[in-house]
This record gives sequence, C-alpha cells and structure tokens, in this order.
Amino acid sequence: MPGKVTHDDLMRFLDGELSPEEHARVQDAVATSTELAREAAIFRAVKGRFQEISFHPGTYHSSVWDEVNQHLARPIGWILAIAGAAIWAAYGVYVFLVSPVEPWEKLASGAVVIGILALLASVIWERYREWLTDPYRDIQR
Amino acid sequence: MQPDLERELIRKCKAGDARFYEPLVRAYEPSGLRLATGMLGNLDDARDALQDAFVKAYEALHRFDLRRPFGPWFFQILRNHCRDMLRSRQARFKLETLDENLELKPADAEKGPERVRQRSAASELLWRALEKVGFEHREILVLKELQGFRYNEIAQILDIPEGTVASRLFHARRALRDALDGMGAEFP
Repeated sequence: MPGKVTHDDLMRFLDGELSPEEHARVQDAVATSTELAREAAIFRAVKGRFQEISFHPGTYHSSVWDEVNQHLARPIGWILAIAGAAIWAAYGVYVFLVSPVEPWEKLASGAVVIGILALLASVIWERYREWLTDPYRDIQR
Repeated sequence: MQPDLERELIRKCKAGDARFYEPLVRAYEPSGLRLATGMLGNLDDARDALQDAFVKAYEALHRFDLRRPFGPWFFQILRNHCRDMLRSRQARFKLETLDENLELKPADAEKGPERVRQRSAASELLWRALEKVGFEHREILVLKELQGFRYNEIAQILDIPEGTVASRLFHARRALRDALDGMGAEFP
C-alpha cells in the first residue's frame, strides 16, 4: 500500500526529482488513485504548455557584450578625464597666481570664477534636492 | 563552459582584466536572455536587464566564491534585477513585441502554416496567463519550465531552501492552471 502522496511529492515526481524508490512509490499511488491520476494529468498538461513557448534567442539578436564593455570601461575614462582636468586647472591657477599682472586684475578674475562656480553648485544642489522629493522619479519619461 | 576554464576567467577578471569577461558574457547570454524575457515579457526590457546584470555581476566579482559555479550566482543577480525593474516601474510585464521578436522552434515552420498558427495562439495564451499569475509565481515557472533548472539550482537562484521549491512550484502551477482555465484553455 503506497504511503500518502503530498502535493510536493507530486511536483518532484513530475519533475524527476525523486529517488528511484520514491518515484516507484508515487507512481503506484498515481496508478491506484483516480483523484491523484487526474491531478497528475492536469499538472502534466500545464508543464506541456511550456513546450509551445520554448524559443530561440532569435537571429536578429546581437550580443550585449559591447554595451557591457562600455559600462566596464567608462569608470576608467571618467577617472582619467577628471584627473586630467584637475591637473590642468591646478596648473592654470598656479600660472595665474604667479603671473606679473596687477593684484586687482587677479582679484577681479578670481571673483568671477568663484562666483560662477558658486552659482553652478547652488543650481546642482537645488536640482538634487528636488530629485530626492520627486514622487515620479522612477517613471520613465 | 568547462568549470576550470570558467574559474580561470573569473580569476583573471577579479585581477582587473575585463577582457576575460567577454567569454563569460557570451556563454551566459542566451539563457540569461531567456530568463529575463520570461520574467519581463519582452525582449527590449530583457536586454536592458541582462546588460545591467552583467555589469553588476562584474562589479561584485570580488565577493564571488570561486568554489561555486558562476551560473546560479549570475542568474540570482539577474532575477533580482528583473524584480527591481518591475518594482520600480522601469519596466512592466508587457507582451506587445513578443510575437515579432520571439522565434519559435525552426522545426515548426516545416510542419506547415496551420501548426505555426496553432502554436503561436497557444504561446500567446500562455504568455497572457503568465502575466496574470504575478512575478512570484512566474519566476519559478520560468526557472523550471523555460530554463529547465533542477530544484537545487532554483533554490540557489531564488535564495530559498531546496525543500520549498516543490511547494512553490505547486502553487505557481495551480495559479497558472487557474489563469489558463479563466481564459478558456482546456485540461484533462
């Protein structure tokens, strides 16, 4: 007399996940119980439906490697670009400071540059704060 | 891919050489695309998810245990990314482009236009039912039925005990049967 067959046993039976002894036990139970046989037939039919959508990736499909590689290489590009820009900016400041121009010219030019940078920073900060509280930020536009 | 070769490639990637990541991407791309398409329902979002998952996996390689296979670990990242995409509404399970982009098995074309039409209708019905059952059920069905993973692999990917897989599959299959039933599909 086969033991009680649970729904989990039935799933393992249909998916070939049981040991040979367990498989034989469930098979006996399915053969002797109409209800169990009907249930097994239904779940087999559900499994069979997936045969209809087994698909190939498609010949049109190109590899994602190029895009992935771009992402992997991008941080190196950013680091080099930022480092290069920082070196040039520092050198520019140094040349400007040691140049033989009048002190008032240095002060005026410095004020213009600092003013522009301060304005830019405040706009970026404001945008960032707006973004943090934007309830629609996850929606693609 | 041979486990030894895979391990060697990952070791080289961990050392910082991204060139050795390409064979891994190409090896896991077809099954990854199938998995993501099953979870998201369309190839465009699936491709985006796959791409992002490969980048995430590369960035997390330093945490990867070389004694374990790459596949289940990568598919776990991909599955989590698909779920996050659906949650953050960057993607919806949508079927508009499936018919145009998914190719049926080549053998079907040889069996005549009627068989192709039947199969296409059955396929569409199943995709609509998968849409109805929701992500939790859909993901385990995709892993088992489209990818053909064993229970231990599914447990690893979903990060659940192996003993839970059968139970989740039972509920998912029952939900799918109910959804198909509601759409007029016939069962024995």
